[in-house]
Amino acid sequence: MPQHAVLVLVLPLISAAVIALFLRRAGAVAATVSVLAATAIATIAVILALHGERFERSFEWLRLGGFSVSLGIKFDDLAALMLCVVGVVGLCIHVFSLGYMRDDAARARYFGGLSIFMFSMIGIVLADNLFMMFIFWELVGFSSYVLIGHWHEKQSASDAAKKAFIANRVGDFGFLLGIVMCYWSNGTVNLTALGSQHVYSTLIPLLLFCGAVGKSAQLPLQVWLPDAMEGPTPVSALIHAATMVAAGVYMLCRIHVLMVPEALNVIMWTGTVTALYAALCAITQNDIKKVLAYSTLSQLGYMVAAFGLGSLPQLDERGRMVAMAAGVGAAMFHLTTHACFKALLFLGSGSVIHGCHHEQDIFKMGGLAKRMPLTFVTFTIGVAAIIGLPFLAGFFSKDAILFLAFANNKAVFAVLAFTAVLTALYMIRLWKLTFLGTARSDHAAHAHEGGLTLTSPLVVLAAFSILAGYTGIYPKVFSGVFELIPEAHGSAHTIIFATSLAVLVIGVATGYLLYASGPADSLAQKSPGLFGGLVALKNSFDVAYNYYVAKIQQRFAMLLNFLEQIFLAGLIIRGLAGVVGLFGLGARALHTGNLNAYVYWFLFGVVVLWGFATGALAF
Amino acid sequence: MSLIFDNYLLLAIAAPLALALAIALGLPKRWSVRLSYIAFAIPLLIALHCWWRFADAGQRDGYAFLATYHTGLGGLGIGLKLGLNGISLPLFVLAGVVGFAAGLYAIQSQAERLKIYLMLLLIMQGGLMGVFASVDIFFFYFFHELALIPTFIMVGVWGGRDRNYAAMKLTIYLTAGAMISLLGLIALYVKSGAHTFDFVALRAYLAAHPLAETVQGNIAGLLLLGLGILVSLWPMHTWAPLGYGAAPSSAAMLHAGVLKKFGLYGLVQIALPLLPAGLVHWSHPLAWFAVIGNVLIVGLITMAQRDLKQMIGYSSVMHMGYAFLGIAAGGIIGPGGVVLLMVAHGLSVALLFLLATAVHHRTHTFAMDEMGGLAQKAPVLAAFFVAATFASIGLPGFANFWGELAIFVALWKFSPVITALAVAGVVISAIYGLRAAARVFFGPSTAHFDGVAARHPPVDLRWSEKIPALVLLAVLFFIGFWPKSVTVPLDAALAPVPLVAAK
Repeated sequence: MPQHAVLVLVLPLISAAVIALFLRRAGAVAATVSVLAATAIATIAVILALHGERFERSFEWLRLGGFSVSLGIKFDDLAALMLCVVGVVGLCIHVFSLGYMRDDAARARYFGGLSIFMFSMIGIVLADNLFMMFIFWELVGFSSYVLIGHWHEKQSASDAAKKAFIANRVGDFGFLLGIVMCYWSNGTVNLTALGSQHVYSTLIPLLLFCGAVGKSAQLPLQVWLPDAMEGPTPVSALIHAATMVAAGVYMLCRIHVLMVPEALNVIMWTGTVTALYAALCAITQNDIKKVLAYSTLSQLGYMVAAFGLGSLPQLDERGRMVAMAAGVGAAMFHLTTHACFKALLFLGSGSVIHGCHHEQDIFKMGGLAKRMPLTFVTFTIGVAAIIGLPFLAGFFSKDAILFLAFANNKAVFAVLAFTAVLTALYMIRLWKLTFLGTARSDHAAHAHEGGLTLTSPLVVLAAFSILAGYTGIYPKVFSGVFELIPEAHGSAHTIIFATSLAVLVIGVATGYLLYASGPADSLAQKSPGLFGGLVALKNSFDVAYNYYVAKIQQRFAMLLNFLEQIFLAGLIIRGLAGVVGLFGLGARALHTGNLNAYVYWFLFGVVVLWGFATGALAF
Repeated sequence: MSLIFDNYLLLAIAAPLALALAIALGLPKRWSVRLSYIAFAIPLLIALHCWWRFADAGQRDGYAFLATYHTGLGGLGIGLKLGLNGISLPLFVLAGVVGFAAGLYAIQSQAERLKIYLMLLLIMQGGLMGVFASVDIFFFYFFHELALIPTFIMVGVWGGRDRNYAAMKLTIYLTAGAMISLLGLIALYVKSGAHTFDFVALRAYLAAHPLAETVQGNIAGLLLLGLGILVSLWPMHTWAPLGYGAAPSSAAMLHAGVLKKFGLYGLVQIALPLLPAGLVHWSHPLAWFAVIGNVLIVGLITMAQRDLKQMIGYSSVMHMGYAFLGIAAGGIIGPGGVVLLMVAHGLSVALLFLLATAVHHRTHTFAMDEMGGLAQKAPVLAAFFVAATFASIGLPGFANFWGELAIFVALWKFSPVITALAVAGVVISAIYGLRAAARVFFGPSTAHFDGVAARHPPVDLRWSEKIPALVLLAVLFFIGFWPKSVTVPLDAALAPVPLVAAK
């Protein structure tokens, strides 16, 4: 079985290498290679998971003195679950890309990028130590850069790609320091070894968390994710919704043994604030993908908050109270269901954008329910799942998080419940403006459903979005994760269920009644003050960062450059040059400008020096 | 045949020098160019062969492929002793690879007075192979000078803008640096009392009779100052961006890629084992100069550059800061990381200089403000440039990553604060690297570039540019994916260091 795990890791790398080296001009072949690789990955991933064998293997990759980095695989239930998510969602998106990118001039580069991404992401999933995870962590950042900037002739796409990579590097600054510190404090970065023994430290988990802040776009590094929507829509679905951005949450779950209460507290509040902030921003957006991007931010905030909420006391089989890592269970559960319904929503938006000839403004859509019925139905399932309609996937996973919050921190519970109202509000707004009413532009009036490659992934993901919440249907092989999911009982159960329903009804009703199918934003018309405030809130981070980059960082760099040119290069060295210039006057006699002369003088000098040194010549 | 097998290293040095001599004696141009392919290929093939066979080759005194030649200088304790250990092997390979790429590029470059240009480059190549193959410290220094002088001439004659000032400044700085280092090496020779320049004998002698700590400190200070100038330690770095900005591309590739590593190589190979206490004495000031000066200040200055070649020159100065940090950190991990980074940086900076010239051929400018959108016209060039940029900013998968990682790991033990400052440089390099790639290749094209493109329709990367670029990139990937190919011999060669330090 370990060889199958290696195969799953190496296959997409081979696919990417073949495409880069030989298939640059053969887009169709490249697409086929990439999709075949994705199919094989999904198949092997599911087989590996179901087979039930769990193993760890590693071999040394580099050694210098006492420092060694190993390349290894830790295949436990957590990795198996994540591998299945990546494999299956990845396959759906590869198939969707076949149709969506059919007419793209640089199709080979696109599919090569997808393969590199699969390689890097699977590396994160399987990594058995933090150095290896960091390596693949950087590589997903690279593939994200390549794919966001796919349409590089657009300035906005080029800027977005750069911004994404740099924001991630800022997070990785902390991540890398955390890993190095962990290495010296514990003598190892192997995940299993850390699990059995590690020193108590608040700084290490917080530094490691910086990596998750960057990758999972938590406040204050969230700014890159909305911009990343410049990439092709399937990329947004795969990388910037379902898998890569969730890698931060996965990484936290991988290192949860290192967590201490102080660090968890910081993580919990970061996630909670991000969830609320992004939901507020989502209300103001009129680009279909941007709404979904902020929604992703908000849901990632949920997962991070869930992780930060920590553990619950539980009776073990011998009747003792032990801590159960409920945060890991709740976060991974929501990660799984979110991957299904958010990929569905993004691909649905891709289908809409494709149908409307690359129109992305929801105020120029409308009435698509009739023209694109299959997209409408599947998108509706996605919306129902994310807003937590009972008995769909999102309902169960969100309830698990709400219950955990209810049990551990009432303030977080209140914020997350309010965020759920906002979620229902902005999703209903998006859904109503896009699909209901009448068409508000020519493109929308002539929208059409795409081919089979575009619709079949929607159907598959819609099915997952309904079913993924029933923990009972998962095979026992994932029990290592799923038995950690917190479940409410008794009165707590009633409270949570009632809260969920109330939140849902309030959000949906407000959204449905507030927004009319018109060409302008109803909230902006009815309450410009509130709307303006939300827009300002959304822009605040970008304004601050742009100010810092343009007015502080760049100016400081220019100042240093100025000083460098004036003082070091100009005054000090020219002074020295003056002294040497005197020697130069003498040398000028020999300076004939003839090149051969230089060379012969040089050779002559060497011969004479040698002569003196060996004593062959004497004074 | 055994004559060739026993004298591999000498052949790698002699082949380019012999052709250079033949050209100087009047070899016709046609033959000069044809034979140049062979003269640049021989060092490469020998270097790759040595790399391949290193584990099986018998070792004596820690060196493989050892050979001694009579020079008539024995009375001074000087002998031409050639050999490779785990530290010099990767650099010997680097010199072979970059020399081959720079040579190929030069042959195809249609430079004026091509014959003499090639001759100088061949002298440089011979000198470089000699630097890293020499076990004798005198020849180690001699070959450096041999390679250095053609650099001055090439900048002065074939250089671009400001070539006279650049050549002058380069000469002043590098000669001063070389002189101070020579002083250090001579002091080592005199103070050791071993009366030999043979490194193996010197090391054995000093292990038995260690130098006093103050003496070590003084000599190490001299070496750090002299070699520091040669490696562009802040604030003695200003020759580098200026010189590289003016240098013709093959000269910039060979100097920034290989010759500049002489200083660091000297510190790792000679100073660390012979003057351990001396380097420890200077390690804190060195680390602060490197992190504040090279990494942060020069990093920010790199961000402010508008000229592509200057930008690459400054980024190279910045990365040398990491190398000094690795030396300051000491132990095995730090210097090991330095060797990895030296090789990786040499390959990636050579690749960047090559590609910058390729960009210039298409845009007729080095000013990044006047470029833009080149990727639409030359996607392969863009892909190579992006790969080279990511290599130089330390993306895993390229060799550079391992060097930086090992240095950061070693540095934490030395000082967590300095480590944090150094890692901040990683963000800075991402900013200027990606900014440059975006300004040159992405977004809509500028009016200036449209004008140039209308007059000279740009073509994508030609094979004459692609082959040297591929060679460099392939080695970057190879070490990136299989770092043990370098670290296994390296680890073994660095291991005895603490034994010598004990006294």
